[in-house]
Amino acid sequence: MKPLTENRLTGHGLAVALPARWEGRLYRRTVGEPGAVGEPGAALRAPSTRSTATGWPGELSHPVLHLANFALPASRGDYGTGAVERMGPDNIFVALLEFGPDCLGTALYSPRGVPRVRPGQFNPNGMQRRVAGQAGFQHFFTEANRPFCLYVVIGSHRQAVRLAERANEVLERIEVQHAG
Amino acid sequence: MTALVIAETVILAVLCVLVAGLLRGYAAVLRRLHQLDGGASAGPPPFRTVAAIPEPAAGQRIEGRDEWAESHDIEGTSLRGEIVSVRTVGVEHDTIVAFLSSTCEGCAGFWHELGEPGSWTTPQGSRLLVVTKGPEEESPSVLSQLCPDGVDLVMSSQAWADFDVPGSPYVVVADGRTGRVKGEGSGLSFSQVSGLIRVSVEDSRHPALAHKPDADRRRERDVDRILLSAGIGPQDPSLYATAEQDERP
Repeated sequence: MKPLTENRLTGHGLAVALPARWEGRLYRRTVGEPGAVGEPGAALRAPSTRSTATGWPGELSHPVLHLANFALPASRGDYGTGAVERMGPDNIFVALLEFGPDCLGTALYSPRGVPRVRPGQFNPNGMQRRVAGQAGFQHFFTEANRPFCLYVVIGSHRQAVRLAERANEVLERIEVQHAG
Repeated sequence: MTALVIAETVILAVLCVLVAGLLRGYAAVLRRLHQLDGGASAGPPPFRTVAAIPEPAAGQRIEGRDEWAESHDIEGTSLRGEIVSVRTVGVEHDTIVAFLSSTCEGCAGFWHELGEPGSWTTPQGSRLLVVTKGPEEESPSVLSQLCPDGVDLVMSSQAWADFDVPGSPYVVVADGRTGRVKGEGSGLSFSQVSGLIRVSVEDSRHPALAHKPDADRRRERDVDRILLSAGIGPQDPSLYATAEQDERP
């Protein structure tokens, strides 16, 4: 078999060296004009005026990083809707979402540094929406003077020990640059 | 006392000879097993060619899997500006990579069928990825009109170079487990090529192939490779016995 390589995903002041079998997507929602995709009436517009914007007018968008050891679909919610439903018992989904500077210094974001996960932290009720067998973990923190939310989903709550270990392998590779 | 020391020395020497002999025998067994399992061999191939067909050179490197070109992970950007890193190597699923362009006339059928889910199917468990050249060589605004929502499109000129794509439309089936390309070619639409893709994928999953010992598979590939390097392709007359040879007792 061809040797597995370590790919690197970089952008928006974030970087991660993806371990073998992991893939990732990094984006910042583009802010659309009134009537952009996803808004009422968008489907009625002529195809030639179709926009690729995914945000809503006036939105202050921030970077979102998705990492997974399975095939990430093109359409996903920020917290993995559309992706976690495809997970198998060995799969892990990681979302790192940045929040606005107004969150800096608040109690919720006071923990420092990208956390590592522990098996006991995963909870089926920690999911945005419960999926049989899966468990989730959410944590807010500040790294490099940027407030973040980390959301991790594992495909099997019973395998939390093994999957937490694998999740930490990728979490420790995340690099955050200081806010410019 | 001296006699005792001499006796011990002799016994020790005999034991050393025995251990060396055992290790040598063990190494010979391992070497033989390695050869039987299709391991690399510096010797001649395990067959002889008929008269007039040149023997392959001894020591020729034999690696059957080279028959399939290498697959590559794909990195680029999506139409929404996402920075994307997609794995096609070392994963459980196959990836069907459709290299399309906004300007090629032959791609029209593919773009049309992308907007009609159900009109064609990909093999179960496989992933479809549309790859265009990068934004510097493509028109993202035209692509956003052509590509329906929900279709995974990555713009990456590097992927075109990695897969050595001769032109668009071009479809590659990347085998996730081996990291090799197990099928590639062109066509007019997904429905046209999906039949070929399905056969290619189902063939590779067929029990008759899946359960064949590795050594057998490698040996078959070795034979194919060496025949091809000698200029003998499928249907070559030299592969078939003549009537005269058939009659030979």
